[in-house]
Parts: sequence; structure tokens; C-alpha cells
Amino acid sequence: MFRVATDVGGTFTDLVYFEIDAKSGKALSIKTAKSDTTPSSYEKGVFDTINKANVNIEKSIFFAHGTTVVINSITERKGVRTGLITTLGFRDSIEIARGDRPDFFNLRYQKPKPFVSRYLRSEVPGRIDFLGKELTPLDLSNLDSIIDHFKKNNVKSVAVCLIHAYANSSHEIKVVDHIKKIWPEIDVVASHEITREWREYERTNTTALCAYVKPIARNYLDKLNTKLIESNFSGNPYVMQSNGGIDTFESTKNIPLTMIESGPTSGVLGAAELGKLINEKNIITLDVGGTTAKCSLIENGNVKINTNYWIEKNRQSAGYPVMLPVVDIVEIGNGGGSIAWVDDYNKLHVGPQSAGADPGPVSYGKGGKSITTTDANLITNRINQKFFCGGEIQADMNAVNKSIELISSKLKFNNSETARGIIRIANNNMINALKLVSVNKGYDPREFTLVAFGGGGGMHATSLAKELNVPKVIIPVNSSVFSAWGMLMSDLRRDYILTKLTTMNDEAVDVLNKTFLEMEKQAIDSFSLENISKDLISFKRFGSFRYLGQDHSVEILIDNGNIDKNSIQKIISDFHNQYEKEFTYKLESQVDMIQFHLVAFAKIDKPDLQERKKTGRTVDKTIKENRMVDFDEMGIHDSKIYDFDLLEPDMEFSGPAIVEDPSTTVVIFPDQKCKVDNYANLHISILGDQNE
Amino acid sequence: MNKLALDPITTEIIQSSLQAACDEMFVAMRKTAMSSIIYEVLDFGTAVTDAKGNIAASGAGIPAFIAMCDKAVQAVIKKYDDSEIYEGDVFATNDPYNGGVTHLNDVIVVMPVFSDGKKIAWTANIAHWPDLGGMAPGGISADATEIFQEGLQLPVIKMINAGKPIQSVIDIITANSRVPQYTLGDMWAAIASIRVGEKRIKDIANKYGRDIFTESVKLFMDYGEHSSLDALTKLPHGTFHGEDLLDDGRKIQVDVTINEKEFIVDLRNNPEQDAGPNNASYDGTVVSAQMAFKGITSSNFVCNAGTFRPLKVICDEGSMFNPVRPAAQGIYYETDIRSYDLIWKTISHLNPDKSSAGSFASICGTFMGGQHPDTGATFIIIEPQVGGWGASSVNDGCNANFSAFHGDTFNTPAEISEARHGVYVDQMRLTDEDGGEGKYRGGKGIVMDYRVRSKNAWVSVAYTRSKSLPWALDGGNEGGSNYIEVIRKNGKKEKYSVVTGLALEPEDVVRIHTGNGGGCGKPEDRDKRLIEEDLLNEYITPLQAEKYYKFKTKN
Repeated sequence: MFRVATDVGGTFTDLVYFEIDAKSGKALSIKTAKSDTTPSSYEKGVFDTINKANVNIEKSIFFAHGTTVVINSITERKGVRTGLITTLGFRDSIEIARGDRPDFFNLRYQKPKPFVSRYLRSEVPGRIDFLGKELTPLDLSNLDSIIDHFKKNNVKSVAVCLIHAYANSSHEIKVVDHIKKIWPEIDVVASHEITREWREYERTNTTALCAYVKPIARNYLDKLNTKLIESNFSGNPYVMQSNGGIDTFESTKNIPLTMIESGPTSGVLGAAELGKLINEKNIITLDVGGTTAKCSLIENGNVKINTNYWIEKNRQSAGYPVMLPVVDIVEIGNGGGSIAWVDDYNKLHVGPQSAGADPGPVSYGKGGKSITTTDANLITNRINQKFFCGGEIQADMNAVNKSIELISSKLKFNNSETARGIIRIANNNMINALKLVSVNKGYDPREFTLVAFGGGGGMHATSLAKELNVPKVIIPVNSSVFSAWGMLMSDLRRDYILTKLTTMNDEAVDVLNKTFLEMEKQAIDSFSLENISKDLISFKRFGSFRYLGQDHSVEILIDNGNIDKNSIQKIISDFHNQYEKEFTYKLESQVDMIQFHLVAFAKIDKPDLQERKKTGRTVDKTIKENRMVDFDEMGIHDSKIYDFDLLEPDMEFSGPAIVEDPSTTVVIFPDQKCKVDNYANLHISILGDQNE
Repeated sequence: MNKLALDPITTEIIQSSLQAACDEMFVAMRKTAMSSIIYEVLDFGTAVTDAKGNIAASGAGIPAFIAMCDKAVQAVIKKYDDSEIYEGDVFATNDPYNGGVTHLNDVIVVMPVFSDGKKIAWTANIAHWPDLGGMAPGGISADATEIFQEGLQLPVIKMINAGKPIQSVIDIITANSRVPQYTLGDMWAAIASIRVGEKRIKDIANKYGRDIFTESVKLFMDYGEHSSLDALTKLPHGTFHGEDLLDDGRKIQVDVTINEKEFIVDLRNNPEQDAGPNNASYDGTVVSAQMAFKGITSSNFVCNAGTFRPLKVICDEGSMFNPVRPAAQGIYYETDIRSYDLIWKTISHLNPDKSSAGSFASICGTFMGGQHPDTGATFIIIEPQVGGWGASSVNDGCNANFSAFHGDTFNTPAEISEARHGVYVDQMRLTDEDGGEGKYRGGKGIVMDYRVRSKNAWVSVAYTRSKSLPWALDGGNEGGSNYIEVIRKNGKKEKYSVVTGLALEPEDVVRIHTGNGGGCGKPEDRDKRLIEEDLLNEYITPLQAEKYYKFKTKN
């Protein structure tokens, strides 16, 4: 039997699979395959990897899929022509947006263009207030002519977002029902199906984006599903979601926007699952890829979720909001391919521009002229010049030395100094990102373990941990395909979010009980539509709280079960504590709950992971060679180079050392110790400055 | 481990850590503030200065707040002897005549950062606190004639001594606010923010060593100065004269002299200080000049004391751009944006890659208050408005954005406004009014309705560019006008651009209008396809197409 995960990336489609022993249910082996992504029909690339790896799809019981189809349709503006229906007086909300201009000194600023042109935005009279009360009845008398207008203009998908629909969705439902009645073939999305959170611009834009990609995502999942069925796959296929869980094809087709960050979140999820396996509850994740580094924080096993997510937002553009639960990830333009450059005033910078896959770093020898972080790691001998990319590429060190010389001469450095400088600046960029998810939010890194993966995770993690005072770094086995591995270990997850202002006093008891029970019922109903049994479902309740009058809120975990006056007091005191932790003070003020957040999980059968066998090999036998490695301020040392694939449980060794496999390099500093766990993950203890 | 030696890499890391510290202070404030003017409108800024109060780095939602906190730090240094400044102290000022720069509602709190017992830097936060007393709720009244009427003055005082709050000072602040719980919340948010910064700066200095830290800050300022001087060599040199009209018909004028080393803004011979609150302190006028200077020289984000070394600002004492005590300054921001807009109008054409026509160029500060009909609590809306931006030679202007004084400022969503303030927002849309036609047209202003639900409600506004409209470029048309209409329950309409404490009844509608930006190039040169697109999208009416673009629609 097989359990399969495929992940369609920008350049490559990855496949990871477990072969499962049918009797014991244990995972016998984990294998990987890679082929080119096929943008014209992504499902082809998926099946290329399946064929390449010789996975018997008939004998597969599980298929999880990560895809960039949604984010690509959006960033390449290849969605369908979308019509938007809003409340009277608000068709321009999606264009006015929030009026912000991050590019401060640019007086020719242009707003990001709305995804729906003004002539395809129509209004219907009817008004709900913020408590959900109807102020003016819905008037559908002009809806037929709106639909005619949309048809005439070749609209392929319709978004409906009405004011205060989060509090009362009845008007939206009526509009959608009417559209479906007289135009059954059109795709329609209403805001309340996606989120029940307030802020009309964010909700409208989210609904419009969802409609914009819906037909494309639906077609894609249908085609993939058809191919799976044709290959006699009989299990359930799942899609990786932005909230750090997987979900069924059916559910995803309704609200495909939930796939928007399918890729990056699976790594965070993988770290959380790995944490469960090896009993690490507090984790900071670091995923260093070719162009970016991403980090996130897991507290007590919980992945952090954020609904204030924006795409294409940067210092030049206000971007577009996506009001969906997305794993809280900080991403910076700093990866292995990030380019080092010197400005007019001889200051050295790294990124955010990247050499990409083509031409790639100078060392690839494909004509790249710009020195990247990877090249700097080669110069310091941290990456093996003779075993570059697992020996597939002959590192072009002549070209590297020639190119870096241009930077060195400007800085008046020798090439080694420049290479160290590049790594230090790249590290500092990553440190600032890691701080954003940890210290900036009141978390003390000393209480966390850094789990690093992706192509460059192991190369940088140990020096970052030292700087942040993180006591331990874990480099997972198979760290370069860790994201896909995460999908194989995941449960179904659905997030339900509802804005409902509730003052935290005795009267809140009923509101909380009633609201959470209703939300739980909604979740059970939705799973049961897909024949998912009730006893597989479990819940986590969260509430967002704030002091009276504040806007930003703090999310607190609420215990399951009946809520009484004592639980309200406990919630209030948890809030005060969490607030003080994050913001250094607390207030006597009234506490309001503004948002209910229910996470529903449906358990999926998962294999027990096979531990790596002990053959009795001694650690000396895992040493490939010795080489001189530059550890920056800790000096240049003759270092042992260990073969990651040969390491066995309980092996221990100290730095200076490097651990290598064909796609990963792990740098272990002279004052660090490494221990191999039962699954062959590396646990590296960091001494750091003992100053606090 | 040895402290690292000073090298370009260490310097770069320290400099980027300074920026990260400011950003972190900014996030802390935004998340904890009580008032929507802080957390939505982002009417606040954070900064780190060197030991002498020169700005080293800043985080700001509003470009106008980037170079503001340094003046407060300098005022503290001037007033207090070193022996009176302890680790953990927090000082505050809101006095525009003494380091406060703007108006009494903007309170700057600062604290020293010590490393090994020596002062190495300051962290600072400026934010608009919702109410500190004064003759009108929210502090700002167009009727004020003296600063005493505008609220409690905090003349460079100490409020926390070596980490211990001075309770009597906090009691005075509390007693003078109409919304004390908001004011205290915002105050603690501001203090939390500078404490976060203090901790970070201290960590950096401890890690790299005090001297290396100080030297890196100095080099960062030199870097700012070099990039400004480079830009000056590329601009045309000479003296450039510009004029503009105020809504009351008075003329304002400026001479800007640019040479290789200096950028001199001469604002002498301008109207005397206003009897009302339409004055901006000299420091405030300097900030306006800094923004225009930054806009024309470079739009990158490095912005510190060095950046502005080549800039000099000259004003007559006793003028609206440099008033003497006790002139009121509540509506300083409309005076500042007038001097800024005047300078920009005068120099924008000097850099063809950056020039653009005039924008709606008013903060359009809108103040409403009353009792929330559902909760009975007092509410105060304090918000700027979005409007149309000027066209350029390559693009139509941007629709509905906040003025150049704002940056990462966010409007308040209708759904939140209705819940929080107990008003109805009946519409928020782009305006159909004339103005800004051209080969490239000005961006569009907005129309927004607030329908009042409660008794004893009121509205105050002080908009400029109501009569003297956004300027056009190269034969385009002037932009539109900023004003409000009050539509009474009986249908009667009243129109205002300046009004204080106007009483409102339930069902009265306050309709906010902001103008289109100015156009660029002659309307008859506009591409026909663009006109057709504008008609399709109803950015212009068939009547406007015919009147301004001589474009006849088929039906």
C-alpha cells in the first residue's frame, strides 16, 4: 500500500510517498521523486512524478495534493471575468480599498487595480445592521437586469458581498438563490460562505478573488480527480489548505481560495507533526528555499493562524487582502539564490532579488553573474564544492571567484571576508524575520526549538539559533522534501470564524455556549455531507478578545465543553496574561470577545513511522572526508564531514562538522553538539552567549 | 567572545537593526492603542535618535511623522541636566512651541537608552491622543484663538521616573480628558512601544559594543547626507518662485533655492499668524519642507538627520508658518499641508520623473461625536478623508487615497464605524463631480454619508482646497472641491468647509465630498479609448464627456 503526497511548485512537482506494510500499518520506506511542473495542465506533471516513482496508484490509500493553481491564477491575472454584487452605495468599496499608500514619498502612486472592473459591479438595495437586524428589506427587482448585464458582458463567475452579511447572511443567501435559479450554470460565491468576519473591503475583495479563481480551480481538481479515478485510485484525495490542514476536493471546490498558500503552510504543519512525534511542543520553523525564507511559530503544538493576510503587499504597493485563516508566516526575500549587491555608497546588501533557477547562482555555471548566498556558502567551504547538488553539478568556482571579486574590490575586502559578510547579512535578514514571529510577539526564543528545513535551512539555522539564544536546532531527515512529508501526516481541518461582539460578563455564558454549539453543528453537518463520521471529529475553540475600544485582539484557547461563570473568569484572566505577555502592560478595562473561531479536525488514519535501523555502525564510519570550513568569527577549522544517509540513532558528535546529503548541508559550529534521534533527525544543541 | 570590530558588514547590520527596532515599536503601538485614529488611521510614528536627539531611524504610518520625534528629544536635552535623566525615565511633550511640533493632541513620549551607564540613544513615539481637554471634544476647534483653549499642555515633563510612574502627572492627564480610558490606554500603548525600542537598542549596543554602535549611527547619517547631496547635483540649480491662494483669497508664496550643497526654502513674506487655530509651528513647517525635499530628491526609505542636513527653512516670526505663543495651532495640519503643497507645486516640475498635478491636498479632518444609541457611551469620530490625486504625464491620478501627509493610513470600514460609533454609513463611493479633466485626468474624490442616530450629536470640520482648487499641469483642468453637506431630516441642505460643533439631530445626514485631483495635459488630447473606458465604467458621465472631451456618445 502507498500513501502519496504531491506538491506542485513553480519549477518542480515533488512527490513523496510512504510504502506501508499492510499488516503492521507501519511505514516501510519513504521515497521521493521530482519532475518538471507542466503549467498548461498541472495534472500531467503530477502523473509524471507518479509514473517516474513507479507508485502503484491502485494500491494507494491516501493522496494529498498541494498546488499553486490558485495563487498563480491570481498573480498572473489569469482568473475568469468576474461580476460583483454589493449593497447599494458600496460598489466602489473594492476600489477605494483602505486609502493607504505604503510608498510614502511617491507622489505618482497607483493603487493596485481591483479584480472586478467598475462596470461589472452592481448594487442591490436592502440593509442589515451590525447586530444582524434587518433595517431595509432586500429588493431584488433589479437583479434580473444585473444578471442580463453580466451575461452580455461574458461574466463567468459572480461574487456577492453585502454589508454586515457576517452578522446575518439571509440577504446574501436570497441573492445567491435567485441567481442560481435563473442562471444555474454560473459559479457564484457569497462572502458568508468564506468568512463571517467584519470589514467590508477585505471581505469583498476576498469574495471577488474567490469567484475569480473558482471555475479554474474547480476544473483543475475535476481533471485531477478524473485522472485518479481512471488510474483506479479508490481512496479519498485531499488538498492542502492555507490553514495548515488538508481538506476534501469537494469542499475545496466550493471555496478554492483556501488553497492560496497551499505550499508554504505544509512545511509548518510538518514541523507541528514532527513535534508531536518527538515531543517538541514549542517550535519556531524556518524554511529556506531558493528565493525566500519563511518562518512561523508553533506554541504548545498549535500552529498560529491569522486572517489578516495580504498578497502582493510590499513597500511599493498596498496589495490585496485575503480574509481567510492562513498560517501566520513571515516571508522575506532571502534564500539560497538571493543576490548580493553593493549600492552607490558601498553598502553591501543581500536580496530581495533572486537569481532564480535560471541562470541561478554563479556556481551553477549557467551564465549567472550575480553572487548569491549559495555561492558565498561554497566559498566558505560550508557547501561541498565537489558534491554540489549531490554531485549533479560541477560548481564553477572560477566564475564564482571572478564575480565575487567585483564586490570585494568595492568593499576593499578579500573574497573570504566578502563571503562571510554576505552570509552575515543574509543571516541578519533572517534574524529579523524570526524575531517578528517570536520576540516581537512576546515569545522567548529560549523556550523554543528551531526546526529548519528546505534546501538552505540546515546551512543557516545553527548560527541563527545562536544569535537568538534558541537552545536547540532540529534538522529533520529528508528536510528538502519536508513540506510534502507534512501533508502525509495531516488531518482534515476546517476553520469557522464569526465576528460577534460579546461583552465578557455573566450574560456571555449563554452566548458562548450557544454560538460554539451552533458552529460545531455546522462543522459536523458539513463533514457528514461527505460521509465523514462524527466520532472522527474533534474541535478546538478559540476566541479573539480585546479591551473595550481596542481594535486588534488577542486569540485565546477556550476549553471544550460547557462554559459557566467560572470559565468566563478563566478566559478573562488568560486574556490579561496573554495580553501582558505580548504588550508589557494590562488594563483594568472591560474585556470584549469580538470573534469566535472554531477549528474542526477530522482524523485521518496515519502510518506509524519506521525508526531508522541500527546496524551497529560506528559514527566514524559515517565520515565521508575532512575539509577546511570557514566558521566566520569562530575561525577556519579542519572539519569532519558526515554522511546524513549513514547516520543512525543515538550517534553523537561535535562541531566543527558538516552533515551532508545530496540536497542538504548542515553546518555545526565548533561549540555545538549533534545527536541523532530514532528517526535520524539531527538534534543540535546550541550553547550561545551565556549572558542572560 | 570579542566584540566585533567596526566593518561595513557590522555597520550595515546595526543600521538595519535600528530600522527593525522602529518597525517593532510601530507594531507594538498599533496593536495596543485604544483609539481608531491610532490603530486604523495610523496617526502616529516611532523613532530612534542618537544621544543628542538626531533622528537615526523611524517607523511611521505617516510620512509627516517621520522626522518629528527628534525635536522633542532635543527639547528634553535642553531642559534637563544629564544628572536628572535616569535609565527608565519617560518624558512627554505636546507643546508645539517646545518640541511638540504639531498640536496638543499629538503627544510625544521619549525615553533614554543607556548602555554601560552611558546614554547612547533615545526612543520616541508621537501619537494623536483622542482628547486632552480644551474647548471642544477632541481638542480641535476652528473657534480657538489661544492655545489655552486647545487642551492640556505638557511642556516637556517627566512622567515616569527611573521606571516608576509619577502618579500625580498621570492623574492630571486623566482628569483633563473627556475619554480618560482611551487616553490612558493610548498613553500606556505609547510607553510600551518606546520600552520595546529601548530594549532592542540596548541589545544591539551590548552585542556590538557602545562605540561601534555610536559610530555606525553616525555613518548612517552620513549615508543619508550623501544620497541627498547626490540628488541635489542632479536637480536644476537656481531660485524658483511659487504662489498659491488660500480658500479665503489670501496669497501664500515661497522661494526655493537649490545649489549643490543646499536646498533653501524661504517662506518669508507670508500672511501673519492667524487669529484662529490655522497656524503651524516653525518645527511643523520644517517637517513640510522635509517631505517636499524628500519627495523630489529620492523616494527610497532611508530617512535620517543626515538626509536633511542640506535643507534650510526660513520663516518670519509671527507668520502663519512660524507663530508666536499663545497662537492656537489646533488645525496646524491644514497649514502644514498648504506650505507643503506650495513647495511641491514650486519644485515638482524640476524632476520630470516625479512631477504630478495637484491633489485634493487637505487632511479633511472630520470630527463627529455624540452618544452611542445602543450603549449610551460617548463616541468621538476623528478621521481624515480620502480624495483624488493629481494626474501625471504618464498616468491618471490615483482615486480616493489619503493626502500626501498620510502614508500607510487606513480608512475606517463602514461595518466597524456603524458598530463602534452608532452611525449609519449609507454610501461610500467615487464622486461624479467635475474637475481634473485632462489628457490624463485627476484621480477621483469620494462621497460618503454618515446618518446620525443619536441625540446631541455634533460635527466639526476644517477642510481646505474648498475654493482654491487643486492645480493642473500642461493645460489640464483644475481638480474639485472638498466640503461637507448637512442634509437635515426635512431635506434642507447646508454646505460647509469649516464648521465647529454643528448640532445634529437623528436622521440628519453628513455628506462628505472630496475633490478630484488636477488634470495633466489638454482634455482634447485624451485617448478616445480611455474616454470610452471611462464612460463604460461611469468614471465620467456622457455629459462630462461631451462638455470637457468633446466626445459624443452614440445613443
